[in-house]
Parts: sequence; C-alpha cells; structure tokens
Amino acid sequence: MFSKINIGVNLILWAGLFCFTSCHSIDEPENTTTGNFDMLWTILDEHYCFFEYKDIDWDEIKIKYRTQAQNATSSKQLFRIMAAMLDELKDGHVNLSAPFESSYYRAWWSDFPQNYNERLVQEKYMFFHYSQLGPVSYYLLPSNVGYLRIPTFDVGLGDGNIDYILAAFQIASALIIDIRDNGGGSMTVADDWISHFIGYEICTGYISHKTGPGHNDFSEPYEMRVKPVTVGHWIWGKPVVVLTNRSTFSAANYFATVMKSLPNVTLVGAKTGGGAGMPFSAELPCGWGVRFSAVPIYAPDSTLTEFGVDPSPGCAVDMSPADELAGKDTMLDFAISLLTTPK
Amino acid sequence: MKKILLTVILVFLAAVVVSAQNREYSARPVTSSYTVGVGSSHIADTYLSQIKYNGWSTSLRYDRWQAMKVDPLSWVMNLSLGVDVERAVNDVGNSAIWYAGINASWSPMRSWCVAKGLKLGVGPAVNLDLGCLYLNRNSNNPASAKAAFTVGATGFVAYNVSIGRLPVTFLWQPSLPVAGAFFSPEYGELYYEIYLGNHSGLAHFAWWGNYFSLNNTVTADLHFGATALKIGYRGGILSTKANHIVSNHFTHQFIFGISGEWLSINPRKAPSPRAKLYHALYEY
Repeated sequence: MFSKINIGVNLILWAGLFCFTSCHSIDEPENTTTGNFDMLWTILDEHYCFFEYKDIDWDEIKIKYRTQAQNATSSKQLFRIMAAMLDELKDGHVNLSAPFESSYYRAWWSDFPQNYNERLVQEKYMFFHYSQLGPVSYYLLPSNVGYLRIPTFDVGLGDGNIDYILAAFQIASALIIDIRDNGGGSMTVADDWISHFIGYEICTGYISHKTGPGHNDFSEPYEMRVKPVTVGHWIWGKPVVVLTNRSTFSAANYFATVMKSLPNVTLVGAKTGGGAGMPFSAELPCGWGVRFSAVPIYAPDSTLTEFGVDPSPGCAVDMSPADELAGKDTMLDFAISLLTTPK
Repeated sequence: MKKILLTVILVFLAAVVVSAQNREYSARPVTSSYTVGVGSSHIADTYLSQIKYNGWSTSLRYDRWQAMKVDPLSWVMNLSLGVDVERAVNDVGNSAIWYAGINASWSPMRSWCVAKGLKLGVGPAVNLDLGCLYLNRNSNNPASAKAAFTVGATGFVAYNVSIGRLPVTFLWQPSLPVAGAFFSPEYGELYYEIYLGNHSGLAHFAWWGNYFSLNNTVTADLHFGATALKIGYRGGILSTKANHIVSNHFTHQFIFGISGEWLSINPRKAPSPRAKLYHALYEY
C-alpha cells in the first residue's frame, strides 16, 4: 500500500514540478529608451490591423526611427520620436499618452475645410429656440424639415427619448441629421439611433479581429445586424439627409456608412474622416499608454471605410466662406433644398 | 456461467448489507473551516497588457471535509468554496488591475491511516473557476473574463500531533487540474464581437500544455477547545496560453480562520450507542 501511495504522491509532485518550470513566459522589455521603443513598435507590429490595407512597411519605419530613439536625451524627446513614428500610420485612432502629453495624428481632419459652424446653425437656422435632450438638439425648421443635431455617440438616449424627438417632427416632411464634427463614441449608441430608421432587420456591416501576431492574421468577418426598435416606438420612414464633414469620425463614420445604405437616406456634405478600426489599448514599461486600431469594421458592402465615406452621388458640398460670412450654411441649405424641391 | 453470475450477485448483496450495517453504526462528523487569506498577487495577461502587475490579494474560503457514506473508513470527501479579490499595479504605479473571482471544487479521496495520527489521501477533483480581470486604463479591452471547468488530482496529508498539551493537526493539500475546458477570447477580439454573437474559438480543451494550475495549502489547526484556530499558507499558480494570449496569475497568502467538527443528530432518532465516529482529518 505504501508503495502505491508513494507512487501517487511522487507523480503529483513531479508533474507539478515539470509544469511549473514550463509556465508560459511573457517577455517584458526593460524600462529603458530602447526597451520602450521596441515594445511600442512590437505592440503595433503584432496588433495594428491596417498595415496591409495602408501598404505600410513597418520594418522600414523601425529602422527610420530606432536610431533617433537611441539618441534621445529626454523623455519628451523620446515621446516626440515615438509619436512621429505613430503618425506614419495616418490613423486618428492612434495615440501615445504620457503624463505630460498625448500624441494625436491630426492631418486626417486638419488638412480639410472644417465645413461646420455650430453657432451659425444655432443662431441663423434655429434662432436659439431649439430643444435640447442630453447632447442632442432638435428644431423644426421653417421649411417644415426637422433638424436633428447629434454631436457625439459617446452618450446615448433611451428609445423613449428618441420617440419624443421624432414625435416633435411628425408634421415635418423630412429630416436632416447633422453629424458634422461628431467624433464618434459607442457603436451601440449609433445602433440605437439606426433602429429608429429601419422597418426590418438589416446588416450594418462586418467585424473581424486579429487571430495572431502576423499582419494578415484575421478572422472571417462576422456579420453585424440591427433590428428595428421594438413595437410601440417611433420609426421614421420619411426622407432623411445625413450631413457629414471630415470630422465625422469613428462611430459617426459607422453611422454614416449604415445610414447611406438605407433607401430613403442621402448623405450630403463632405467625405467623412473614417476611423474604421476599433481601438485597443496597451502600455509600455515606462507607464505610457498607447491606443491603436485593432479591429477592422467593414461596411455592409464589405468595403473598408478607414479613409472615409463619400457623400451620395451629386451631394458633395463644402461650406462656402462667403456664405458663412453672410450667415448661411451652404451644406444645410443644400440639404433643405434637396428635401423640399419637388422631383 | 450461471454459477459465476450467482456468485457476483451474492457478493454484491453481501456488500450492500455490510455497507448498510456500517452506515447504521457510523457517525461522520463534518470538519468545517472558514478562513481569510491575505497576501500578494502577481498578474500578467497579454490580452490587457504586456506588463507584469504586483499587488495584494485577499480571499474568503469555506472548506468541508467528511468521511464518505459509502465507506467511511477509507473514503473522505472535500468541498471547497472560495471568493478572491485582488489588486495589482504596474511598476510605474500609474495603472491597476483588479481581479474578482469565485471557485468551487469537490473531491472524493481514498484515504489511508498509515501511522498513528498520520492520514494520507488521494483522489480526483472537479473544479470550477470563474473570474474577471479589469484594467482601468484600457478603452475597448478593459476586461478579461476567466472561466474554467477542470478535473484533476488532489490529495492530502493530515498529521495529528500534540505540541506540549496542545493538540495540533497539520494539513497539506495540493491540487493539480489535469484536463477540462477553459475560456479565452481570440487574440485581438473585442468582447463586443462576442456580445454580437460570434462565439467561435472561445472554448479550449485544457491540458498542462495550455492550462497549468497548481494550488497548495499548508495549515495547522490549533485545538484550543471544541473550535480550532487555523493558520497557514496558500499558494496558487495559474498559467494559460490560448489564441496567442498568455496569462499568468500567482498568489501567496497567509491564511487564518477557525475550524471545528460538528455532527448532525436526528432528534427523533437517538444515535446508536454502538455508533462509531469516523473523522475525516482529526484524530484525538
């Protein structure tokens, strides 16, 4: 009996000892200049999702910036070099965050006209008499067209709240949804809005994710679907114009993409800013945080909108500086005209 | 053939009768313990961060030991239920990972009294572990859920001895899951996608190559009276690798609590004077 017990106990101990020595290891670079640089490069190398789509040679970029990083003499200098490396990705979802600064690639919107003047719309079109519900403002324009301003998808409204807004427009002939300067937020908030504009379940796009560290290691795209809001709530079936500009980004870009696919919706304005990669977060040994696109979101037609969504054909409009000076919103006027001119 | 069958049936019936008689004359007190654990936590999970986090851990645990009805002399069962809460920070100290989890395990063990006061046991164990890591600085990947159902081996060594006039029970219990199933998201998958309904690649067959867990508990029960003071050490190792995600989770805790034996008696049926007590661990 003793021999059996000994064998059993020994088996457990040796198996445990064997496995303990083979615990899965995690490489953690040292908190040095090159250690932090290499880790940042590796995090992006293994997780960033648009290398192939943007035709970026990440190895070449490492060579370009690593020597600079090695010669950095201060944390701020190292930060600038790392931020410059990240800017090569041309991605508004990529940030490096240190205690003294956060890097941000701005050229995706700063190289384009802003095409939106909030004060002008509030003063000249809504005469400061608009209704406000959370971040959303709305007003029935004199042309009998409803105007709905959604500045962010960070904060959502309940279906009952949205009902009140749509009910306020029940005599309107059409609706304008202004998502210019909407920098995004949560896709589920965008879905909540979309559910009030569809009469049947729709495909809103596809989501994929990386399955490994290789640049092309992706899962099969998974279909995303949205159902109409539940019975008893308001569903808008009249014509809709969605106003966009270059600062329409991320979840707002997704909203524009989905709304454009609906039959009664026209996209008016300027090309959106894109941002079709949902971001992941990671960190460096020095404590700095990094955020980057990791999960590609595809449009319902399976295309990527990382670089933006074009307006509907014939509906590309920029804000005229002269109009703006004269108190007119060229894009909003175009939308009103489109919705009120008999066809 | 008929003779063999008849013999088997007779042996089986005899065993049932003997077992029933044993049950009639046996009393199986329950050894229960309630312990609090306080110690260190070491966490690294590459889904959340490549950086290793170190901090504190705490736990509450209930353990129940009892000789088994089927053969109280040779079989002991152990039920263990626990709750863990941990917090660990990175080396720089600007970020924290929280862990909260529950676990349960049940194991029947074949036991042997190998010497006076010394009892050994070994047997299979069924384990259920559920928990979640939360990293407060992350945006779309702030949490990593943990779930595992495993079967494995466990055992115990209980040694009852008197130190001076104080009876003490030393107990060592290792536990080593061998196989099962555990959950892991895909390498770069958001929980949002799982929420949308994509459940492929989430469940994994667990074996020592991708799921290694080893728990050790060493305690001393100091019998000051009917209730004992329990003090000791508990260490846990969990290392997993699935979908290119590596997760390491180590804890070391000093544990303290109370333990004791209790016996359930039916007031309408007095215990037989011939009843024999079968203790799971203690021996006085």
